[in-house]
Amino acid sequence: MRDQLSTSISAHRPGTEQIEEASRLLAESPSAADLVSRLEHLLQLLYESARVRVSCRSQGSAFWSSRSGPVIPAPAEGDPAGISPASLEDDGESLRAVRRGPDGSTVWVTIEPESPSSRFTAADLPPFHLACVLFDAATGALLQRQHQKGLAFSLNQSVLQLNSLIETGIEIARLSSDLSPLSIALERAAALTNASRGCITLSRGTSVLEKILFPAGMDTDRRGSTHTISAEFIFDGVTTTFELFDKESRTGPVPFDTTDRLLLDAISRQVHAALENRFLHRQSLEKQRMEQDIAVAASIQQRILPATLPAIPGYDTAGINIPSKSVGGDYFDCIPLSDGRFALVMADVSGKGIPAALLVSSLHATLSAYLEQSIPLLDLARRLNSAVHRASTDDKFITAFLGILTPSSGHLETVNAGHCTVYWRKADGTVIELSQGGIPFGMLGIDFPYQSEAIALGPGDRLLLYTDGITEANDDGGRLYDSEGSLKSFFERQTPADARTFIADLIADVKAFTGSAPQADDITALYLMRNT
Amino acid sequence: MEQPFSLTTELRDNRLVIATRGYINNVGGEAIAEAFRRHFAEGVKHVVIDLAQSRVVNSIGISFLIEMIETLQEADGRLIFTNLDPAVEKMLTIMGLFRYAGKENAVEDALQTFERQP
Repeated sequence: MRDQLSTSISAHRPGTEQIEEASRLLAESPSAADLVSRLEHLLQLLYESARVRVSCRSQGSAFWSSRSGPVIPAPAEGDPAGISPASLEDDGESLRAVRRGPDGSTVWVTIEPESPSSRFTAADLPPFHLACVLFDAATGALLQRQHQKGLAFSLNQSVLQLNSLIETGIEIARLSSDLSPLSIALERAAALTNASRGCITLSRGTSVLEKILFPAGMDTDRRGSTHTISAEFIFDGVTTTFELFDKESRTGPVPFDTTDRLLLDAISRQVHAALENRFLHRQSLEKQRMEQDIAVAASIQQRILPATLPAIPGYDTAGINIPSKSVGGDYFDCIPLSDGRFALVMADVSGKGIPAALLVSSLHATLSAYLEQSIPLLDLARRLNSAVHRASTDDKFITAFLGILTPSSGHLETVNAGHCTVYWRKADGTVIELSQGGIPFGMLGIDFPYQSEAIALGPGDRLLLYTDGITEANDDGGRLYDSEGSLKSFFERQTPADARTFIADLIADVKAFTGSAPQADDITALYLMRNT
Repeated sequence: MEQPFSLTTELRDNRLVIATRGYINNVGGEAIAEAFRRHFAEGVKHVVIDLAQSRVVNSIGISFLIEMIETLQEADGRLIFTNLDPAVEKMLTIMGLFRYAGKENAVEDALQTFERQP
């Protein structure tokens, strides 16, 4: 009987080429399932008339499966204790071997004669043994390929992480980007670490300002999370906390590793730097805009000031305005009135910058309008006080000197609204101070009773109007130009033949005093002398 | 911000178009693979994965995509990705997917490619 079966197997054994092809396919199996399937195919070729059954049980599983059916009962003989070589079992009733699959599964191979009465002999064992050796070799090769593939995947992933880290840094640092750097950073951090979800919380103290979730609408309850990592930084009083939950793997959640923590820390630092850069960039733009505004304001202010003074018959006049770096609030003018008189104006707005420039513009417009109406000087002062008070904030006011000159008679009516003392030098050398008036315009919102004084300028008389940019011009040591009455004595002493020379000499004297010290305030002066 | 994952499938002349939305991670990758397996078992060997609505992919999601590409390769099939966000395209390039899979601008382009190279 045994001889008959051996003869039968040998008689139906396929050709060498077919077996070689099946062996090659077995060696090139791309997966554990294919390996088992191809082993079964090879055995079926070798034992054509027998019943080949290859059962597999995954690592840790209680169920066996085969290619012919998803689940089969455990072999009647019970579970194998471990791997075993090809052997002849039960007096030739079956050939049996137990091998280990590449995925850790147990592969149980049983070959039974087609007829229950048939038996295998020792002569039937070598092909089975050979198939088992081929299976083991193919398993090793598959494991090697999988290992190499895993290494390549891991290497690619490391390159990807490095590349993404660089790209993320560039993207979130892009100042023109409309996207929030936080959203980009959270997406990238989650993807790079294989986190299933993530969250960024912005908080100030104990109050949460904003939460950014990835994916949108995710559950922020961390009680269900087995693994989390976090990183945080504080910028501008706001704490930004990154949290990543549940690192994924193909077999379920796994703990985050050191690389994940390094990646999250790196991205968190990139965001911190990006936010700082955006803040500094915004400040820089704001400063640039302010400087542009100031330049425009300075330009407007310069246009308000007279380029040339009108000629007053019998008089010589000269004026100057040297603006400091920032926009100041100095204003002067000599305005011809419709009745032949002239208005002499010298004013200084408290403070500097755009608000001061705006107030100068307002004063210029209001003064021009009132002068057109030939309003008496004291009324003009009261109205200007009200108008400036209405147009300015409480801390803004204007010191001003107004004078209405009748050229033919030399009659000059003046109001000094809290401005620097105006000097009047008579032809005989006497210097008289003109300070009668009242409070600066706009200081109080009341109908203030201004007082005026009237003088008569005779031939050879001179008048000096100026702002505190001259008296308070300081040298490197911080000493003021007029701290010892320098201006008055200069005015008293210097009597050049024309007004322009006086102004030039005055400025030269001030500059000689201040030396290399920067000009802190506008320097403005108006000089008038009666010739005849 | 990326939405929770979802997908739609469409068979056009026995070519499977899978359009995804949201994060392609373990959940997303498994859902794509399951949709693929179902149709592959019925003989579908040309697959388009439209990633227009997916801007974030992690390596677990990529591992599912690689398995699909390998399965299709063994069956002489082909996979083409479409509507790739630049960041996703770079990611798939670095991971080596385009050595064995194609990429096109739009789904229609991918289907035409299948027409030309069946």
